[in-house]
Amino acid sequence: MSGLVAGLLLLAALSGLLVVLARDPRRQVFAMAGNGLVLGLLFLALQAPDVALSEIAVGTAVTPLLFLAALAAIAMDRAKGRTEGRAKGRTADPAKDQAEDRAVDHAK
Amino acid sequence: MTPRWRLLLLALALAALLPAVLRVALAMPEFGAPTAVLGQSVNALVPELRHVANMVAAVNFDLRGFDTLGEECMLLCAVTGATVLLRGARGERGDVRAGHLPGRPVIPRADATVLVCRVAATLTLLFGISVALHGMTTPGGGFQGGVIAASGLLLLYLGEGYAGWRTLVPSPVLAAMEGSGAVLFVLCAGLPLIAGHPALTNGLPLGEWKDLYSGGLMIAVNAAVALSVTGSFGLLLVEFLEETREPADAPASNEADHEDGTMRART
Repeated sequence: MSGLVAGLLLLAALSGLLVVLARDPRRQVFAMAGNGLVLGLLFLALQAPDVALSEIAVGTAVTPLLFLAALAAIAMDRAKGRTEGRAKGRTADPAKDQAEDRAVDHAK
Repeated sequence: MTPRWRLLLLALALAALLPAVLRVALAMPEFGAPTAVLGQSVNALVPELRHVANMVAAVNFDLRGFDTLGEECMLLCAVTGATVLLRGARGERGDVRAGHLPGRPVIPRADATVLVCRVAATLTLLFGISVALHGMTTPGGGFQGGVIAASGLLLLYLGEGYAGWRTLVPSPVLAAMEGSGAVLFVLCAGLPLIAGHPALTNGLPLGEWKDLYSGGLMIAVNAAVALSVTGSFGLLLVEFLEETREPADAPASNEADHEDGTMRART
């Protein structure tokens, strides 16, 4: 095993660990894109350029974008629901409202 | 389940699995040693049998072409399902405003971004077509070319903004590409059946080794996969990015009059 492959394997493990340790979904998406890039380079170093091409295109570009679009849609829906809730006045259960607010804040 | 129990369970699982894992790991060939019998035989036989230089393409599109047909149908089903779930409600027309979270700044796209994206999108699309075309001679092929072209579509979106992108990339065209690719693949598999041969029998002239035309029927299958993958990934992008638009029933907000196109509401 050459030094390059060993280094890339280590880097793949590290970036994979980052994906698990990142708690904020958006950061997790970017960590996953980084992990995809490292995996692509690893496949390239292991002489599988075709696999590297698909890994970089799918794992670094397309999948993170789909996740970002989904996160954006969720955040917009939550913000919309919150403004509508305020317009109508608080619901009967203030504790539930606060919990929803916290969930939205957390998502930011 | 308390952490203590979890650790205990982990220790039990390790104790049960570790001997087997160690035994298999120690019996494996050395890292990177090309000793797999199947790989060696494919390398030795296929250049003469099929006249192609890219063994992966030969395996995917010919030796186990029927499996690839199944994967192709799986992709078609998955994308159709996602499209059915996401279509409607948002962003069907190109001029829909981008969704916006109150309190987040709207940063207009820089001219440099537009320029870089236009150059990079063109190059990426060309590279994708080249990778797909040279599927029989160099690493790559229909799937790889297709996903590269789809990421080129993504760069187009970043450069042109949503409205321009929807005009440039009409989703009926993407759907037609996806469907026609799948139909072409099924035809490649089915026509030999009608003639009384096994499915995907390579009846076309095989061409010359390392030539752009080599592999006979594999070229048609490769083209089918490229079309289908480009179409389905493009369709997925369109459907997901529609979800970043403002819902149809949302009240109009004054601050969203700026030029849109960047994804403003990234959570």
